[in-house]
Amino acid sequence: MSNPLVRIGFLGIAHMHAVSYAHSLLAMPGVEVVGMWDRTDKLAAEWSERIGVARFDSADDLLAAGLDAVVVCSENAYHRPLVEQTAGRVRAILCEKPISTSVADAQVMIDRCAATNTRLQIAFPVRFAPSVIELKRQLDAGLLGDILTVNCTNHGSMPGGWFIDAELAGGGAVLDHTVHVIDVLRWFWGAEVAEVYAEVGDSLLHPGLGIDDAGLLSFTLSNGVYGTLDTSWSRPPSYTIWGDVKLEILGERGVVYADTLHQYVAVASNAAGKTQWAGFGSDMDRGLMADFVEMVRTGRAPSITGEDGLRAMQVALAAYESAKIGQPVKIA
Amino acid sequence: MQRVGVIGCGAIAAVHLDGWRRMPGIELVGYYDLKPEASARAAQRYGGRAFPSAEELFAAVDVVDICTPGTAHKENVLAAAAAGKSIICEKPMARHYADAVAMVETCERAGVPLFPAQVVRFFPMYARVKERIDAGAIGKPAVYRSARNGSFPRPGRDFSAAHYADFNLSGGVILDVAVHDIDFARWCCGEVERVFARGLTFAGKEFQDHALITLRFASGAIGHIEVSWAHPRGNFRTRVEVAGDGGLVEWDSQDRPALVYELYDEAHGFRRQGSSPTADVDEPYYAELAHFIDVIEGRAAPVVTARDGLEAVRVALAAIESMRTGKVIAMQEFGG
Repeated sequence: MSNPLVRIGFLGIAHMHAVSYAHSLLAMPGVEVVGMWDRTDKLAAEWSERIGVARFDSADDLLAAGLDAVVVCSENAYHRPLVEQTAGRVRAILCEKPISTSVADAQVMIDRCAATNTRLQIAFPVRFAPSVIELKRQLDAGLLGDILTVNCTNHGSMPGGWFIDAELAGGGAVLDHTVHVIDVLRWFWGAEVAEVYAEVGDSLLHPGLGIDDAGLLSFTLSNGVYGTLDTSWSRPPSYTIWGDVKLEILGERGVVYADTLHQYVAVASNAAGKTQWAGFGSDMDRGLMADFVEMVRTGRAPSITGEDGLRAMQVALAAYESAKIGQPVKIA
Repeated sequence: MQRVGVIGCGAIAAVHLDGWRRMPGIELVGYYDLKPEASARAAQRYGGRAFPSAEELFAAVDVVDICTPGTAHKENVLAAAAAGKSIICEKPMARHYADAVAMVETCERAGVPLFPAQVVRFFPMYARVKERIDAGAIGKPAVYRSARNGSFPRPGRDFSAAHYADFNLSGGVILDVAVHDIDFARWCCGEVERVFARGLTFAGKEFQDHALITLRFASGAIGHIEVSWAHPRGNFRTRVEVAGDGGLVEWDSQDRPALVYELYDEAHGFRRQGSSPTADVDEPYYAELAHFIDVIEGRAAPVVTARDGLEAVRVALAAIESMRTGKVIAMQEFGG
């Protein structure tokens, strides 16, 4: 029994996740990675060579090669034009998070995909971490009883490059690291963030950076749960690991400490000059890609929609607004 | 498509069958067990049919998965090899070295693959330790340490008590348990040169066994392996570390898991539970069996060979001999 071949192209690979997405797809039976394009020639040439994916001279050329689906991993600001250009020419688009840099742009992307019958999925790989899948199952089974509160972190290392260019990224640590955890909480409870207060640090950890590199969000959800999220790029180069996704969820019957990616061997290396944690957990990007390919193949609805991407991004934008005015901000 | 048949329908077979039945490209044809009720139960639970003899099962399959106790491996491997089948054999490969040699040589002569189920190589944390060593992160391995400590395997259960407590059948904790760590240590540090061991295998303690094994590798590295069937029931702990001339890699099953639940209710009081979930395809036994199929179908080079399984048995038997005699055993002169 063989599945029809799914032909996929990469439009924009400036986001580093494109590398592991490509590796996952290249290893998947029944998938052909047809080619890639990026607006930056040097980056495109280097990536194409390193990953072993054919480089196309323009996005149109790649789309003309006859694709079933496209993965958009460009700088955030280019998500909208690339999705607009692609919608209607493929059956499905996987767009890296955050969906975009403004509500208006995100809405255009969603509307354009809907109008052209193109399935739009947002890349939230954390939903495919086995620990997060189990956690959702336990919460659904009522292990903790009624949920009271969540204390979350999505720490990271300062990524540099276009991530710290406000034009291309749309924001710093708060936009980069709000959306993963907020998406998971929305998924757990089918609830929306109702209000957010935020303290945002500009160039706080990295003097002279020129963009926010630290953030603390305090929020309420429509189901009555309140919580906080630390989005800071606060893991220095001397730390053991790039960052974390931690959710401490307190319910009426107990608490769960979910350090969702904490499956590591410790490696002290004199060559590296420090101790590092090398992960052995299941590859969540592989799970995300398998889910996406199955969606393309079967024609079912996306498991993570453009609307999901928009809702998560809105919380980050509201956090910036709150920091600006010094008051909590309600989200419609 | 590979047609798979399982010989021996005990505890480890259930673990394999949970993998086989969800693996694409596999037809689970059936089972043979000395106890017809065991194979009938497997057929009912996992599909396929219970065969009245091993020979009839061999005739209906491409791959024979041998999950019997170690003492029955040889007869089944020899018969499956004669029938020209691909063979997967649980560890330890055999109770006696001469039997393991006969198995390996027979399969080599028959030109059929024989895969020893040294599953530790497929545990993701152990695989990562090996990958970091191969990447040069710790330099040249120098001091290996690992432990695999639990309680005696289910005394009171009809099979386990009789089998594991009888040294002549099981070989005790070294052959049954340390064979995992010996194989992993060889994977990391190369061939073993000499062995010294102390332990409880011959101490006459009912339902308790334990060993501390000291190794010297041909590379000059040294190694220490603890295995136990004497620790308190209720916890099974494994750990491994390899120190090299450029660094150290370590892992301990008691490291914090990804999920820690702390719960309270009046009936049970306070409970703390940990969980470290893995994707289905990364479950070690599934990954191991899927790898063997990949090798059979030409998609992968073997991660572990019959010769590896054989040498793990030889080193384990040398450790037993050392414990029994109090002597250092040089592997070059040791013939099992």
